[in-house]
Amino acid sequence: YNIVMRSWARKGHLQHINRLFSMLESVGLRPNLDSYAAALECMGRNQSSAKAIRRCVQQLKSDGFHVDELFQKCLFEEDEKEKVLRAIRIVQPNYRLPAPPKPQTCKSSLLQGFYSKKKTVSYPKLDFSVQELQERFQQQLEMELDNTVTIESVESTKPLTPQAIKARKLLATLRSHWHDSILQALQKSKHNMSKLKTASGYNILYPYLCLLPDEEYVGIMLQILNTLSPQGESLAVLARELGAKVYNRYITQRKLRSRQLEKVQEIYEDYIHLLAKDSQPDEYLPREYWEKLVAEAGFGPSLNLKDCSWPYMLLLRLGMHMLELLVQAVKVPRNILSPRLEPKLIPVLYHIYSFRSSWQVGLIKPHPIFSQIVSDAAETLLTFNSSAIPMLCPPVPWTSPHFGAYVLNDTKLMRFVDGAIQHQLLLEQCPPVNLHPVLDALNQLGNCAWKINQPVLDIIISIFNDKGNEKLDIPPPISEAPRPSAAPSNSSAWNKSQKHELLLCKKKAAEMHSLRMDALYKLSIANYVRDKVFWFPHNMDFRGRTYPCPPYFNHLGNDVTRAILLFAEGRPLGPKGLDWLKIHLINLTGLKKKSALQERLEYANEIMEEILDSADHPLTGRKWWMNTDEPWQALACCMEITKASRSPDPAAYISHFPVHQDGSCNGLQHYAALGRDLIGAISVNLMPCNVPQDVYSAVAQQVEEFRKKDAEQGVKVAQVLQGFVSRKVVKQTTVMAVVYGVTRYGGRLQMEKRLKEIDEFPEEYLWEASHYLVKQVFNGIKEMFSATRDIQNWLTESAKLIAQSGRTVEWVTPLGLPIVQPYYRSRPTVVSSRASRQPARAWQVSITCGKPDTVKQKNAFPPNFIHSLDSTHMMLTALHCLRQGLTFVSVHDCYWTHALTVDVMNQICRQQFVALHSEKILQDLSKFMLEKYCRAPMLICFLSGSSSPGRETRALWQKKLMEQLSNVPKTGEFNLKKVMDSTYFFS
Amino acid sequence: GPGILTRTLLNAGVRVVALESNSAFLPNLQSLENSLDGQLKVIYGDFFRLDPLVTGTVKPPAMCSDKLFETMGVAAVPWRADVPVKIFGILPQKKERNTLWRLLFALYECSSIYRYGRVELNIFISEKEYKVLTAKPGEARAYQAFTVLWQVGCEIQLLHMEPWSSFATNLKNGGLAVPKSMWLPNDHLCLVRLTPQQNLFTGGLKPTNSATFIFMVKQCLAKPKSRLTDRLNSWSLDNGGKLLSELEIPKNAETRNLYPEDYRRLFEALQNSNTFTETWFHDEVLESIRNINL
Repeated sequence: YNIVMRSWARKGHLQHINRLFSMLESVGLRPNLDSYAAALECMGRNQSSAKAIRRCVQQLKSDGFHVDELFQKCLFEEDEKEKVLRAIRIVQPNYRLPAPPKPQTCKSSLLQGFYSKKKTVSYPKLDFSVQELQERFQQQLEMELDNTVTIESVESTKPLTPQAIKARKLLATLRSHWHDSILQALQKSKHNMSKLKTASGYNILYPYLCLLPDEEYVGIMLQILNTLSPQGESLAVLARELGAKVYNRYITQRKLRSRQLEKVQEIYEDYIHLLAKDSQPDEYLPREYWEKLVAEAGFGPSLNLKDCSWPYMLLLRLGMHMLELLVQAVKVPRNILSPRLEPKLIPVLYHIYSFRSSWQVGLIKPHPIFSQIVSDAAETLLTFNSSAIPMLCPPVPWTSPHFGAYVLNDTKLMRFVDGAIQHQLLLEQCPPVNLHPVLDALNQLGNCAWKINQPVLDIIISIFNDKGNEKLDIPPPISEAPRPSAAPSNSSAWNKSQKHELLLCKKKAAEMHSLRMDALYKLSIANYVRDKVFWFPHNMDFRGRTYPCPPYFNHLGNDVTRAILLFAEGRPLGPKGLDWLKIHLINLTGLKKKSALQERLEYANEIMEEILDSADHPLTGRKWWMNTDEPWQALACCMEITKASRSPDPAAYISHFPVHQDGSCNGLQHYAALGRDLIGAISVNLMPCNVPQDVYSAVAQQVEEFRKKDAEQGVKVAQVLQGFVSRKVVKQTTVMAVVYGVTRYGGRLQMEKRLKEIDEFPEEYLWEASHYLVKQVFNGIKEMFSATRDIQNWLTESAKLIAQSGRTVEWVTPLGLPIVQPYYRSRPTVVSSRASRQPARAWQVSITCGKPDTVKQKNAFPPNFIHSLDSTHMMLTALHCLRQGLTFVSVHDCYWTHALTVDVMNQICRQQFVALHSEKILQDLSKFMLEKYCRAPMLICFLSGSSSPGRETRALWQKKLMEQLSNVPKTGEFNLKKVMDSTYFFS
Repeated sequence: GPGILTRTLLNAGVRVVALESNSAFLPNLQSLENSLDGQLKVIYGDFFRLDPLVTGTVKPPAMCSDKLFETMGVAAVPWRADVPVKIFGILPQKKERNTLWRLLFALYECSSIYRYGRVELNIFISEKEYKVLTAKPGEARAYQAFTVLWQVGCEIQLLHMEPWSSFATNLKNGGLAVPKSMWLPNDHLCLVRLTPQQNLFTGGLKPTNSATFIFMVKQCLAKPKSRLTDRLNSWSLDNGGKLLSELEIPKNAETRNLYPEDYRRLFEALQNSNTFTETWFHDEVLESIRNINL
């Protein structure tokens, strides 16, 4: 009703709005603030009589609303706000807009110091002038307005073959035909829909096909056609992609039309002053400054759009419809590659079904003829959504769950699994001030400026364009794929082994293709921004773990991508910087893991010859860097060390190189701190030690002790295992057991795999030995991490009881971020699509329904809870690093900063870990859950059992849950403060 | 179980080879074997884990069919010859459909037990599976690719129906271990005889091309209400219409309306049309084999 009212209000048709008010009444609904805003806007627009306006305001008040609320709570577009105000002033000439709410300050005890305004702090500036940043903003804006970016791929330097020229010409002709036939098919289907008078499953999509110019829909469909892999793609995935593309363009249009963009532009231009080096303000956080500017701007459209997200089902249906149009409209003459055949048009895309055990998956595949032409053409232009490219200006700061990151592209603060919206609701209900720490941390991560390490990128591209190198993780081109040995041309005459061989080849080729494309995207984007400074806007998952938004090229990527990234900002190395670079290099090699930092440094100095050789002759020298754990980052580091050590004064050498500090088994560190487990704390480096401790070796040692005892007592399997208990064997099971809480059964399978890898191990003992070892690993862990296991059991058991009562597990992180586990049961739902007069096609897709998935809710809780703690620790560190003027980014539990500031960062990281775990984390969790799950009124829908449980059972259940939640596990003796002095905590 | 099948067969006086998958029952069976003077032979093995697809050594009770047939002393006979051996058993309910698919693939490929000729199965299956096996064209939900393939491959006879209540199927929690069925009746276990058709491979269908046939039927019946012409068109055939009229199949026929025999004739006609081998279809068949084997 409100949508229609707003449209009439824009046209100034008051009678229609009045009619809608009566309609509201007749169906038993009551107008809300937005309805009144629409009515008043209309009255303001056509200068209604004071009497009419007064009556409207009267009614508004009698419905329990206040005039001020119109301006505080409603979202406006274009000039709506002004028009409402004009109407109000007709009856109250002196009416003043309510003052903007006072900025609130976060009260989290962890950030008291951070947010207190007692002493003024200044935050670091970027190395750009206002003018420069504004130009960059314009570039970014233009890119986003285009929605897509087409860039040259790194393969474009390869010479063109005559075959490719021919194929490209052919493709161009075909595409122009396809463009016309898709346009025709689209217009025809729209025409058919528009003729139907009543809404049905068929024409319900009609409005969504009218949002954009026809040409844009055609463009979107052609784009999908260009990116379809020869192996095909699942129907549901393609449909969602198509739907999402239409949605994104629609949002762009709305932002333009509602003049929201204009306002963002205006505010951003002022906001830039906070970051630019040649400008005044510096005592604000980005969010605070943005909010201040918005409040000052007062009039105009709101920055948030009103109710604009589309349900998942709608995206799917729209996408299905467009896919169906594609399948019908896009054809190719079948004789195009082999002229001896009769010319006949055949579809380029076809539906096919893949059968997986009991159900079938619908796929869309391109015809091999089409795939052949595409591969012959070897086109070197890649088209990306503009959000796949890093931002060319500092991101818009996050100020609410809906607003931040890109200028135009719609980005959510929290990533979500398709269809689940509960966490989004939770964020909306949460008082905005509670989100400040999280928003500020994300803004800090997003404001880090990056640039490309060009020499390394060039070497990588040269190998990529040659033959690739699997060992160095540069995927070879498809031409390097294995080919089956000669076989009869008629496939039906093949024998089993020939078929098998062909299958293996095909599988390998498919894998190679996807790896190659992935690398091609990453390198091409990197190459596109090679001379630019760029930014990665960040958002987070439901546990608060942060991620850069651009999907392909970002610092979370593999060794290759990390190696080509540098901080745009340079800092001198300082007295200890060169040493840190050397230690970082040794860390990247994976050697000397058990040695003290000093030894690693000494080792680096010993092999200086190799380092210099690697840097000077990466591909022609002794290639020391190639035999390391992370070869490309090691190479980049070699080059940096070489440059620094050859500079006249290494301490003054300006370095852009990120140095990493890794948490040692970070999940376990949080567990050990939660439980104050002494032995556990030592083994994961919470306790100061001369050399780094290795938890896996410790577990292996413990297990070996048990084994020896058993072997002496004649246990056969223990004797068989002599000499096989090693760090490597127990590592995976330990991680799985402690961090992820796997069961013995799952642990045994892992263990069996490890034992199988050992050639000498007698096969007949596999089952028994893996069973035995898992038992001993669990015993060992129990011995070392006694409180940890208790905590884990407590978490699991609590989650089990909560989930069994049909509710989702929720909690709040120490920083105030509300979390809900988004695991719901899904049910197959039929989506039908119909293009033109063909019979409807119906497809089954899985859609989540509201009921929680009990098993997942329970099993995932301990790891999710720990992840919510590690993300909290990271955010705390990020915020305090900002306060100290450090450059800081993170890859979950791996923190990056300049060589100069590693020591400061390390100190902050330890301080914040101690501060975090000095909070009563488990008690607070228990309190929150008791409040949430054990207070009346009880509305539990039991999932198990068909009969509804009686009142007694419910009361019993309630009691059990209450006991469980109140019974917080006891903790050990470990003195948390020790972490402050532990060198190897993060190293 | 208590060995009702074995006992009945022994009482009928035939030579019986018993496959026992649980080693706990072996000693008793073996003493029975010794007392019966050659009428009974006991083998430690699991019929439903014959010829496992995983590579590596086969560990009992899994076993290879050639070992089994060698031990039984049964030699391979030509396909058109008489039934070389009859197999009796009860399908485990949990993987009933999977087992039947595996047998079906073996049948069309003449591999595993079917390498030895037209082995006759006499098996207890749930009523719902029986309904699917014997469904008629157009029967919603029951008529599936599975139906077509079994009906083309075997003669299907119902020997006996026994209500579930006759079987001890209690689960630990006291419920009946009867698989739930939403659309089809499922009140009995059905003893069904599946005799491979003698003329299965006399036309254009061969063990070498049968994978294509299976694939074609599955693709057609993935959407039972779709039109056959649409399917053929999407396979890039340029004479689909002509083909259908030659086969006297109406142009607007839905895939669920075709008889199993029609699919066989369609496949044979396609084999003779030279354009069919030019299509992408064969690549897809190969790819589908990977799925079949899993």
